[in-house]
Amino acid sequence: MVMSDEPMIQLDNVTVRFRIPHERIPTFQEYAIRWLKRGIRYADFHALNDISFSIDQGETVGIIGPNGAGKSTLLKVIAQVIRPTLGRVRLRGRVAPLLELGAGFDYEMTGRENVFLNGAVLGFSRKDMNQRLDRIVEFSGIGDFIDAPVRTYSSGMVARLGFAVATNRRPDVLIIDEVLAVGDAEFQQKSAARIREFRESGSTILVVSHSPASIKALCNRALWLEHGMIRQMGPVDAVVDQYAPGQPSQ
Amino acid sequence: MTMLEYDSAQRPPPFVDEFVQLLRYRDLVFLMAGNILKNRYKRSLLGIFWMLLNPLLQTIVLAVAFGALFKSALPHYPVYLLSGLLAWSFMTQTTQYAMGVMATGSGLLKRIYIPRATYVVAVAGNGLINFLISILPLALIVLVLQHPVSVSWLFLPVSILILAVFTLGLALLLSTASVFFNDSIDIYQIVIQAGFFLTPIMYPPSVLPEALSGWMVLNPFFLMIELFRTPIYASAIPDIGLIAAAATLACATLLAGWMVFTRQADQLAYRL
Repeated sequence: MVMSDEPMIQLDNVTVRFRIPHERIPTFQEYAIRWLKRGIRYADFHALNDISFSIDQGETVGIIGPNGAGKSTLLKVIAQVIRPTLGRVRLRGRVAPLLELGAGFDYEMTGRENVFLNGAVLGFSRKDMNQRLDRIVEFSGIGDFIDAPVRTYSSGMVARLGFAVATNRRPDVLIIDEVLAVGDAEFQQKSAARIREFRESGSTILVVSHSPASIKALCNRALWLEHGMIRQMGPVDAVVDQYAPGQPSQ
Repeated sequence: MTMLEYDSAQRPPPFVDEFVQLLRYRDLVFLMAGNILKNRYKRSLLGIFWMLLNPLLQTIVLAVAFGALFKSALPHYPVYLLSGLLAWSFMTQTTQYAMGVMATGSGLLKRIYIPRATYVVAVAGNGLINFLISILPLALIVLVLQHPVSVSWLFLPVSILILAVFTLGLALLLSTASVFFNDSIDIYQIVIQAGFFLTPIMYPPSVLPEALSGWMVLNPFFLMIELFRTPIYASAIPDIGLIAAAATLACATLLAGWMVFTRQADQLAYRL
């Protein structure tokens, strides 16, 4: 594959500002009343505040920080789900987010239909998915259940099928948000092996997790967020040890 | 050097960007439109036949109830009724569905990038499929009643296209409204209910009191219904003024809908 000197992911002074009304105004009637009375007051909330960093191809970066630090917002900005209010985000490849359990599934549809639906959500064409179907079914271990409605699946089966679709083609950037524990022990090994394989063949991986141990096991760098700002970024052991002292290195 | 895939600073205007992305994700739009159709009839005994039966049964009920009333004014009343009803249902059911669909899709829209208009366009596409299929029972009634069929039927594709453009535009406007204000869904529901009785669907326009019938030009639903009904019921191509008005209205609605929707699209992920 083509190696490049330029970073895979680059953020320059990225700020994400939510403009939230002091109270949520869900109805038109209330909106009109308040607007007439005294106007609506808003508060600005900075989910990300002037963040800059870059990640090279092949790096595996763990994102850590307390609840509300902006970890999910950061992933959303990179996954293009939300646009930065200020600053610039640049990506050099195809991003594949690993979705939470069952997101993007239609439970009334069969497993097979869901493979196509999920593939289309990830931006693959129908033709593409036709070619990949057999391999996806095989990896997921769903077997004959592939033609049964997904509502009859166990949650482990749903997760396995979702993982199999999302990771069938090696993405340039893989985003993993707390979904490392998928399926039974055997499937966990299989999925961990696949993620390692991606890493070795040059994928860039971003992981959000509250488990310092799994961050240390998977990543070479860590990014510690707090109040929407970077507290520290550097080699995984150094940063994680500062963040959560007393966790054993692996 | 690998290609730059995404640069938040080099983004085309949302008006254009959303359209380009929707083309890229067209397989997803088609799949979703088909899935809505499949899901609706999946667990029912007669399955897809309901799509044919439903309009027939509806027509029979209303024709029995009101047929005698308009016997002299509207010969072959079921043809008049059903052709109006199909156009009305297409526009209103599709837009009502579109208002709920942003909430349904929020799980996905908040987690992964797909074009924001995917759901609304899929709903409109599904509505159009339903509309086209429901022309079959209408044709059946036309044959049974031996209502004359003329070359004016060839104008129907133009009528349907204009109706679809109008409906998509309205669906985009209303689904944007539904994200910002929950109660817009209830308000629209009431507007639809009143609209059904204020629009000549079950009755001829001549029934309306004079004070009201003058206002009918301003009822966009009436314009659209006439556009579809005239070639079938009156065996005539609609008045050129009506065609021009309806086409202008449809294009303006779609343009406005697309502009409003795409301008607000970035905010949707926060609001949903």
